[in-house]
Amino acid sequence: MIVFAVVPVVLVTLLIGLRGVAAMRTTSDFLIASRRVSPLLNSAAVSGEYLSAASFLGVAGLVVKDGIGALWYPVGFTAGYVAMLALVAAPMRRSGAVTVPDFAEARLASTSLRRLAAVVVLVIGGLYLVPQFRTAGLVLSAVGGSPYWVGVVIAAFAAAMTLALGGMRAATYVQAFQFVFKLVLFIIPAIWLLIAVGPQVRHEAVHPVEFTHFARDTPVAFELEVTLELDEPTSVRTADGSMSVLPPGEFAVPQGTTIVFADGAPVPGVRGGSPPGAEGWQRPLLDLRDAGYPLLGTLAVLVATMLGTMGLPHVLMRFHTSPNGRAARRTAALTVALLSVFYLFPGIYGTLAKVLVPQLYLSGATDTAVVALPSQVDAGPWGPVFTGLLTAGAFAAFLATSLGLLLVVAGAISHDLLPGGLARLRFTVIGAAAVVVLLALPSARIDAGVLVTWGFTVAASTFCPLLVLGIWWSRLTVAGAFAGVSAGLLASAGAIAATLFAPPVDGWLSILIAQPAPWSVPLAFATMVVVSLFGRPPAWSGAAMLRLHLGERHAPSAHRGRDLGHSSWSARRSSAVRRITRRLDR
Amino acid sequence: MSPHRRQVVTSPQTRLAHARRRHRTSWRPPALDPADARRALAVYKAQRVRAVSAVAALLVLMVGLPLLLRAYPGLDDVRLLGIPVSWLALLAPYPAMVALSWWQLRRAEKAEETAEPDP
Repeated sequence: MIVFAVVPVVLVTLLIGLRGVAAMRTTSDFLIASRRVSPLLNSAAVSGEYLSAASFLGVAGLVVKDGIGALWYPVGFTAGYVAMLALVAAPMRRSGAVTVPDFAEARLASTSLRRLAAVVVLVIGGLYLVPQFRTAGLVLSAVGGSPYWVGVVIAAFAAAMTLALGGMRAATYVQAFQFVFKLVLFIIPAIWLLIAVGPQVRHEAVHPVEFTHFARDTPVAFELEVTLELDEPTSVRTADGSMSVLPPGEFAVPQGTTIVFADGAPVPGVRGGSPPGAEGWQRPLLDLRDAGYPLLGTLAVLVATMLGTMGLPHVLMRFHTSPNGRAARRTAALTVALLSVFYLFPGIYGTLAKVLVPQLYLSGATDTAVVALPSQVDAGPWGPVFTGLLTAGAFAAFLATSLGLLLVVAGAISHDLLPGGLARLRFTVIGAAAVVVLLALPSARIDAGVLVTWGFTVAASTFCPLLVLGIWWSRLTVAGAFAGVSAGLLASAGAIAATLFAPPVDGWLSILIAQPAPWSVPLAFATMVVVSLFGRPPAWSGAAMLRLHLGERHAPSAHRGRDLGHSSWSARRSSAVRRITRRLDR
Repeated sequence: MSPHRRQVVTSPQTRLAHARRRHRTSWRPPALDPADARRALAVYKAQRVRAVSAVAALLVLMVGLPLLLRAYPGLDDVRLLGIPVSWLALLAPYPAMVALSWWQLRRAEKAEETAEPDP
């Protein structure tokens, strides 16, 4: 079954990738498809790249685990493009840059800032890419029983080959195709599930009750070690079929075991979580880490996802493939519409999974809720068919996102840090994929959603202020940008380290450490502004900013009428431009 | 050899330049022509007003809806077609955001056309 689901996706990816292979001579051809991508194709590619495993599988899993409030994540994911449309898309494209570090250099003319930005790209790329490969491995092993590394290697191979051969042009066609593919493979199973589950489950889905007792003999596969808390004696069946009763207290389940909980047995607790359907599950706000501050939790997630989207380097790079600023703006607007269609559906999977597979929360495998649903609904031929379709869609999600991320990582290394030719870019893609595979192999335990959210947080606290202030504030200086990006990077990375290694804290403080965007983004903005105000921007800074806002409806004035470039034309002097840009302050 | 075979027509100099490592020197953005600068200033000011109002509208939506849901927990019990209204409220931002981005796109393009009339 698994072969039928994944092999076609990989083959089609490689075939479409080959269709994109065209004569390529420069790094611009490789990284931004020679800037020839129309708004509709580009917005489909942006959406295809953006709908990663976190959207296809993760949101429904979070609904099972954290409640209906998890549906705020996709709202923030989409809102980012509205902000991008209003603030970033057109001016950034008009800078003529190829990557975000390029933009930093084009606006502020500093190579050290460019290198810092390239390092930030590598951090975000790593945080985002490792979970894609990891989830590919986990889903294949959950559905098809293959070892974990097989999925990781397949995903890395398909992505690296497509990119090394066809670069951004191939990635564009593949991502646009995979958007349509994912949309169809997400909507049709959702509608089939809604019809097939019957009125009883539909009623239970909209009237959630707490998951306290198993409704039937329920096998739970523990891929990782979990400590369960039992309040009363619980009858279970072990692998050899014999019944036994677990005494109350703590019970450590070893890795790789399957326990069958008997019909009517009480549901054990899991440390640091509440069962699906518990008090607050049905509330439409996101109580992060069960801290008791749902409003703060919701807003923290919205800030991180919304502003993070504006700073994701692989998404920004896609906007540089538009032929001009106007097309980039239209791309952003169309992307909002395309994503809005997709995000109407994760809620259906989440609420149905809460009724049908709530036990996934015990083993922490809620990420597989979407692919686990069909077999619960139909034991006949249709269940496996729809599981196969959803697995294929999920695999397309890993591939499309990995393509964009690998490209942006290769661009940061071979275009920004160690500039080289086209051949080096192709090899960097393969090398980067190999390194990420090595990073992903020991990362099976790490929660994919957490890593991706950290990627958003780092992007929101570094590139979002750099782009917004760079485009709209002429007084930004190199020192200010450098200090702001460093402060944002250190603050978000420090909070990540604190979540991983520091002793746990309670209350609103735990939200601000787990999700630092509400303070790290203002901190980065404030640092940039204050340090810039202490310095003095160069004389050409106003002109460098205004240039980004100049539309392409006109050819530059120099080409019309008199030859303004001639040295005898006094209005051509830079002092004349400075006199005009001085009006910016008024 | 078939007549349709593609030939590389790049000059050897260009190929050499592409293959060579790019040398970085101190760089500054190209100068802006005074006539362009005047037009760019007009576009910049027009776009700034529009961008600020669009982002403000987005913020009202993103902050206002959670506040509303927090203030009226009773919405959990009101049902439309059997589904709690507060759940449906999590789908309401999508049409609103599509409308907002369409509005902003139209305004931004119109501002460019006004500031830079057809030659």
